[in-house]
Amino acid sequence: MSYDAIVIGAGANGLVTAHYLARAGKRVIVVEQHPAPDPSADIGWIPDVVIRDLRLSGAGLRIDEPDPWITAPLPDGGTLELSRDVGRSADAIRRISPADAAKWPDFCHRMRTLAGVLERLYLVPPPDIETTDPRELVRIGGLGLYVRRLGKQAVIDLARILPMSIAELLDDWFTSDALKGLLGALGVWHLKQGPRSGGTAFNFLHHHAGSPLGVFRPTRSNVTQALSSLPGVEIRRDARATVLAKNGRATGVTVEKSGDTILAPLVISSAPPRATLQPIAIELDPEFARAMSNIRAHGVVARGTLELSGEQAYSTFCLAPSLDYLERAYDDAKYGRDSVAPYVEVQRTNGRLEVHVQFVGRGGHEDLSKTVARLLRVQPDRLELSAAPESLYHGELTLDQILFMRPVPGWSRYRTPIAGLYLCGSGTHPGGGIPGAAGRNAAREIV
Amino acid sequence: MKRYDAIVIGGGHNGLVTAAYLARAGKSVLVLERRPRVGGAAVTEEIFPGFKFSMFSYVVSLLRPEIIRDLDLPRHGLHILPLESTVTPMENGDYLAGWADHDETRRELYRHSPRDAEAYDEYGRLMHFMAQAVKPILSMVPPDPTSFAPGDLASLWKLGKHFRGLGAERLHALVKLMTMSSADFLDEWFETDVLKATKSASGIIGTFLGPRSPGTAYVLLHHYMGELDGVFRAWGFAKGGTGAVSEAIASAARSFGAEIRCDAGVSKVMLKNGRAVGVALENGDELRASIIVSSLDPRRTFLQLLESDSLPDEFVGDIKRFKFRGSSGKVNLALDALPSFTCMPGIGRQHRGAFSISPSLEYVERAYDDAKYGEFSRRPYMDIVFPSMIDPGMAPPGKHVMSIFVQYAPYNLNGGWTDAQREAFGDAVVNTVESFAPGFTSHILHRQVITPLDIERITGLSEGNIFAGELALHQLFFLRPAPGWAKFATPVRGFYQCGSGTHPGGGIMGASGRLAAMTILKNGA
Repeated sequence: MSYDAIVIGAGANGLVTAHYLARAGKRVIVVEQHPAPDPSADIGWIPDVVIRDLRLSGAGLRIDEPDPWITAPLPDGGTLELSRDVGRSADAIRRISPADAAKWPDFCHRMRTLAGVLERLYLVPPPDIETTDPRELVRIGGLGLYVRRLGKQAVIDLARILPMSIAELLDDWFTSDALKGLLGALGVWHLKQGPRSGGTAFNFLHHHAGSPLGVFRPTRSNVTQALSSLPGVEIRRDARATVLAKNGRATGVTVEKSGDTILAPLVISSAPPRATLQPIAIELDPEFARAMSNIRAHGVVARGTLELSGEQAYSTFCLAPSLDYLERAYDDAKYGRDSVAPYVEVQRTNGRLEVHVQFVGRGGHEDLSKTVARLLRVQPDRLELSAAPESLYHGELTLDQILFMRPVPGWSRYRTPIAGLYLCGSGTHPGGGIPGAAGRNAAREIV
Repeated sequence: MKRYDAIVIGGGHNGLVTAAYLARAGKSVLVLERRPRVGGAAVTEEIFPGFKFSMFSYVVSLLRPEIIRDLDLPRHGLHILPLESTVTPMENGDYLAGWADHDETRRELYRHSPRDAEAYDEYGRLMHFMAQAVKPILSMVPPDPTSFAPGDLASLWKLGKHFRGLGAERLHALVKLMTMSSADFLDEWFETDVLKATKSASGIIGTFLGPRSPGTAYVLLHHYMGELDGVFRAWGFAKGGTGAVSEAIASAARSFGAEIRCDAGVSKVMLKNGRAVGVALENGDELRASIIVSSLDPRRTFLQLLESDSLPDEFVGDIKRFKFRGSSGKVNLALDALPSFTCMPGIGRQHRGAFSISPSLEYVERAYDDAKYGEFSRRPYMDIVFPSMIDPGMAPPGKHVMSIFVQYAPYNLNGGWTDAQREAFGDAVVNTVESFAPGFTSHILHRQVITPLDIERITGLSEGNIFAGELALHQLFFLRPAPGWAKFATPVRGFYQCGSGTHPGGGIMGASGRLAAMTILKNGA
């Protein structure tokens, strides 16, 4: 059997790339290392254009719109619940801080405008700042003009807020610890940084992209499952693949267990860039190899599931009582340990309770489940957690690792120095938390 | 009553530079200084009989060469003496040293890591180049990216062209320098922890950030800027202390006809029909001028010298948001003998350079952790120099002065700074030095401990921030001190700003003062 293209990885980005290529008339096979599809929810914005192009609505795509979108415990025993309706959220905030409630609508609008700029940047390849191609220059000019048309405030906000820390941003607006804690958590999401580190305001906005006004948690969906059920591409599971390259050209992959070789002139990997390229390092120039080895991709998140008998009351339950709490959780990870008091979030999707824990350190994680169980007041045996040794985003979303710097400077157009080998995963622009965006951008570059 | 062309509020080095340039252009200029002497945070004072100290700012590196030239400062007594080395004592009794001689430094690095010794030259070349690339920005009035005025557009276009001209590789390095933490940036180059710690320590000076905080890498460049100008080495002492720099600029200003009045604190800027027309002094006197220039920090300039109703609300909001968060202190000691460090016993040439107490990245990061939660560092990062070794006039014969720059000491200390807290902070400093130089404490004759609160009280710098406002990415260039008002003009006609709180700010550079003067002259004072 011969193929035009092999896609490594059957996650959302890999499948999106595969389907776009199939739509362009290519014979595509997807090789996936795990034997069975991952049942956990996909977290992040699925761009409308992907849903439309691949007709995902007809393939059983289900997007959660929990309302309220978050619940956080308050020190006095009550809870703070934020709704999809900005006015109702303001009412809830008013009970703990009238001043914060008054600022809430304005805050939501300012953040929405900035996230809108990111959304526009994310659905196309990153601007190529070195280009002399007039078409690219016109495109960059168009982006610039678009931003300036949003008005003076947006330009200033972009320049000022993106490099800021989320703590500084939130301190500018709010006083309530509970509110700042639950918002601040999004700023350190999947990042080995605390809320006082520069660039965490950007990370906050990145994860606001695609969400409606006043909702500061990414969408949850079953997009990978929907993509898996789409006809048109062959998926081979339980097939861990390694790229084959010869004389600077990709020739195919070998499958680890069976030892099979699949040949194709195009190989597209949604696996982490470093893991993809390591086996063929000998084919790379030393500068590029060094840049690859410098990608920062610390694993800081543990994820898992919680089994509870009876109905759980909340759709999203967030334990991040203050910015200082998050900062201290990060301090532990900075020195290589699991947080003594971690940030914990429980999300209910399709009957499953999924747990997100930050931060984990480098070592074993013996006490982590116990710690989290105690915080959630459940029996430890109800909780199953596993810590990711590397960033689930295949590279942290820090300011030096985004746009034309992602995955490595100068190679942001999904290509690699190996002809015929492309990248399409979270490690490429626009990064993790936007299932399908990198996959679509990559497929369009390839076609 | 005499009416001046310009009155400059504050006789710190930037105020003096502005005054000198205005006077040089033929304007009648008056400088008003609240303290009995000029200099602001660049002053030399005889704190204990016979012992002179650069009380706050203690090294000179970035003073713009065009200022030295234009004002002919050497003729007015400026004399820079090189600082020859940096020695970092390590916890295991070893040390890392950087010497004036490049080959010697290389050999020393080789001892720690042959790989790092190799990387060091390449790193140096890149940083030299990057510093050169950034330098033009220091001499440029920031354009306003929200404006459609032809001047701003042309300036933005030029800036874009300049950066594209760097080439891809260097442009990427610049993005990394502007956004990364110094620890992460150095991790890409070196493996020796103590080397990374010592280099990254320069990235945290004056900030409320740790070596692992993004935004600290950019300051690594500063070390390569002074050196490039060919005027003097990266860091040096002014003969007579940093006060001598201020005195030289003051002398130059006077030679051009400027008048300088000390003990003359300004309480308000007087307005008429929305235009600045003069100043009211603390003693009740009123003085008039066509142009008023403030070298005070943005908070004092706009929230203290003016009534808030004379400024747009949005602007007042921006100034209130401008961050200071002073994080450094200073301990000045009079000694009867120099301390001998365990790592390099005895007294020798090492005492003519700096000692950096930054034995590991974790040490410096933990020092920051204390400050994050409102405590001073129990074991702080310190930069230690012995000015009397280079300039014997600073201490009586056979005796010495020791200057210790200390971080972190947060302005907002839990429970507030009290006399007891100040002494506890001084003790932490002395005890930490003692751990690297046993017996040192017995040589202390006198001790002066300066907290951020003291810096604020004495110099007027808000929250004791030594840069008149944090040098964070979102407070630089066209955002310094506020968007739309980074070109030295203010919302009040006839009222200008020229201190370190404006672009480019920071250190004894004088660039803000010079750019402000040029702007005023261009606008037709």
